[in-house]
Amino acid sequence: MAAIEADEVSKRYGTEQALDRVDLTVEEGETFGFLGPNGAGKSTFINVLLDFAKPTEGSASIFDNDCQADGVDARDRIGVLPEGYSVFDRLTGRQHIEYAMASKDADAEPNAILDRVGILDDADRQASDYSKGMAQRLVLGMALVGEPDLLLLDEPSTGLDPNGAAEMRQILREENERGATIFFSSHILEQVEAVCDRVGILQDGELVAVDTIEGLRASLGGGTKLVITLDRLDDGVIERVRGVDGVETAVAREDSTVEVTCTNDAKMDILVELHGAGVDVVNFRTEEASLEDMFIEYTGSR
Amino acid sequence: MTWRTVARQDGKLTADSQSARLLLGLVAFVVLLAGYIYPMVTQPPHTTARFPAFVEGAVTTVVPFVGVLLGYNAVVSDRESGAIRLALSLPQSRGDVVFGKYLSRTGLLAATLVTALVAAGALVVYPFGELALGRFALYLLLAVAFGAVWSGIGLAVSLAVATKRRALVVGVVLLFLFVLVWDTLEQGVALGLAAAGLAADGLPAVAEFAFGLTPGRVFSRATVAFVDPSRGVEGAWYLGGPVALVLLALWLVGPVGLAYARFVGSDLS
Repeated sequence: MAAIEADEVSKRYGTEQALDRVDLTVEEGETFGFLGPNGAGKSTFINVLLDFAKPTEGSASIFDNDCQADGVDARDRIGVLPEGYSVFDRLTGRQHIEYAMASKDADAEPNAILDRVGILDDADRQASDYSKGMAQRLVLGMALVGEPDLLLLDEPSTGLDPNGAAEMRQILREENERGATIFFSSHILEQVEAVCDRVGILQDGELVAVDTIEGLRASLGGGTKLVITLDRLDDGVIERVRGVDGVETAVAREDSTVEVTCTNDAKMDILVELHGAGVDVVNFRTEEASLEDMFIEYTGSR
Repeated sequence: MTWRTVARQDGKLTADSQSARLLLGLVAFVVLLAGYIYPMVTQPPHTTARFPAFVEGAVTTVVPFVGVLLGYNAVVSDRESGAIRLALSLPQSRGDVVFGKYLSRTGLLAATLVTALVAAGALVVYPFGELALGRFALYLLLAVAFGAVWSGIGLAVSLAVATKRRALVVGVVLLFLFVLVWDTLEQGVALGLAAAGLAADGLPAVAEFAFGLTPGRVFSRATVAFVDPSRGVEGAWYLGGPVALVLLALWLVGPVGLAYARFVGSDLS
């Protein structure tokens, strides 16, 4: 049974296509990162999973419960940190946790959860006075109530300082080790790279890639990036490099430096080609393509 | 069954809020005042079956206001702030949230009405009045239904619009129309028709029926027909008690039902 199954999910708002036939399966036990620039449709997809929005076409299910037809059952085994929420008015942090316990019909120790997300000291203050980061921690705490089988988090690190983001990642790791499936969206690549087994990249409502990070690297020219410094950068050199078999991209940087992503086999060919063009290679190193390179490659944007 | 969770939570918060206490206090005050002065300003016999006719004007004016003001922000303020996204992230349906809030707010109004009416009934009976238990109990039921109609209308407005401000405007417009200017409107139409020579002796049946459709009129006719022995039901069958009960039931489920159906099918923001 898949934790999340999306079948050709499309969502149109008027003439705007927010989601375009998104097909996605997230298996039980994995940590899945949902990547994309702002406005790519990540939140729309999560809104469909939570039944905040109805898909125009297609269907989505969580643990085989249809998100629209059996929304309550679909949300029964999950913990959620939604986007665009606000905390409840006139309730303390502790009362929020207790509300989640009552609603999920779950036993939990509110103090333990509040401590785990780092707001125990503020537990008896009105949550509406919390900062954004504290509210994120509180709602993560609500999501953790009842040991959910799936954590569904929309931009979980919003409002958190680097320390808070690291603590959040640590909690996600612990939850995953407990056996929970993690699905979270982010536009921050380091976070995804640090914790995810697989990532999906969404661009203009379309899922353009779903793979492991290694898989994405492999599909991107063997994941090799050459940084070559030349004695000078003549006209036409970049074009000649691009013409070499196996070269994906070639970009000129400042100081006569060229960055090339390519298959592993093409490295030598490139150097030979440069030599043939009559330019001297001053310096030469290879890098593993980072997720950010892949992200730019796939979406053409930062 | 998570509507219980919602109802308990919402009831507690509503009961704690100052404005809700003020509104409910107003209902209690008006009803008790009516119970206190009723034996002084009317001719005997004083019975709990005749008291409803005396308190009718107060109830049909104050209860709609309090009902709408209790209900209008129930859902829309959460929707505006985003708190509803948090509530609906939990394993509870939109129906749970709406029903829970309806129950808590209607329950508070109903409890206030019943308590105040029972206390007012005691003031009527003691020392010289007479208790007509069955009829008075029936009146309590009708009054609770009337209160539920108006808190339901308030909730329906809350479900139907996008901002709290708009909900307040729509709610007040409905109150203004149905409670404050309805009688004047009816007289105006009657005078206009008479002046035009179309209806010399009162409104035509269709208009009479239409003007009799408001919750307040329906509630009054049901009270006259089933509670008050001193006033008989006059006029056509469609202005009689059974039809009034049916209409009251329609008011009870109609507005909130329609608004809920629309809410369930729509996207949040």
